[in-house]
Amino acid sequence: MKIRFYGRLADAMGRELEIAAGEAASVGEIRQSLAASHPDIAEALRLSRACIRDAMADDQRLIGTQDDLEFLPPVSGG
Amino acid sequence: MSVVAHLEHEALDPQLELAELTEQARGDGAIVTFIGLARPESREGDAVDALVLEHHPTLTRQSLEDIAVACAQRFDVSQVRVVHRCGTVPAGEPIVFAGAASLHRRAAFDAADYLMDRLKTEAVFWKREVGEAGSQWIEPTEADLADRDRWG
Repeated sequence: MKIRFYGRLADAMGRELEIAAGEAASVGEIRQSLAASHPDIAEALRLSRACIRDAMADDQRLIGTQDDLEFLPPVSGG
Repeated sequence: MSVVAHLEHEALDPQLELAELTEQARGDGAIVTFIGLARPESREGDAVDALVLEHHPTLTRQSLEDIAVACAQRFDVSQVRVVHRCGTVPAGEPIVFAGAASLHRRAAFDAADYLMDRLKTEAVFWKREVGEAGSQWIEPTEADLADRDRWG
C-alpha cells in the first residue's frame, strides 16, 4: 500500500511511502503508527485529513488492499 | 449563469481575466474583483522571494469548482470567475483572481468576499514562503477561519 504526503508532511516523510499490506488496518491505526515512529510529525499528522480515492476518510475507515492513502495537512489558498 | 474555476500553472494575467469577465457580464450592472498577490515580506518581516503553492492532482481543481459553484448558488450573481495559481509565484505576482458580476453591486461584493474567505481556508493548496528565512509553511490563521465562519 502506498501512503502519499503533502505539504509539511512531505518535507518530513517524502512524497510517498510504500508499506507492506498486511492485515486490514484502519486509517486511525496507520495514523497512530506513523506518529509513533515519527514523533516530529505527530502533531501535523493529527491535524491532517486522510483521503482515499479522492474522498475524505475518517479514522475508522478500513483500508482496502487496492487503496492508497493520502494525508493532507491543513490547506490554504488565496 | 457562468462559473469559471481554473487552476493556472503559468503566470496569471488579471487584466485578461477581467476582460473575459467583463465580456461575459453584458447586461449586468456590477463587477467586483479581488486579486491576491505574493507578498515580498513574511509576517516576521523577512524578505520573501517567492510563494510556492503545492497542489493535489485532483482535489485542488475540485475544491476550486466546489467553492465557485457554491458561490454562484448562494448569491444573486450571473458570473463567478476563480483563477488560482499553482507552482512558484515570485513575490509581487498574482496568486489568485476572484470575481463576480451581478445586476446590482451588493451581490457581487458579497460573492467576491465569500470566494476569498473560502479559498483562504478550503482551497486545496499547501503554501510556503521561500526567502531570507529559508522555507516556511503558511497555514490559515484564526482570523482566516473566523472570516470563513461568517458565512455559516
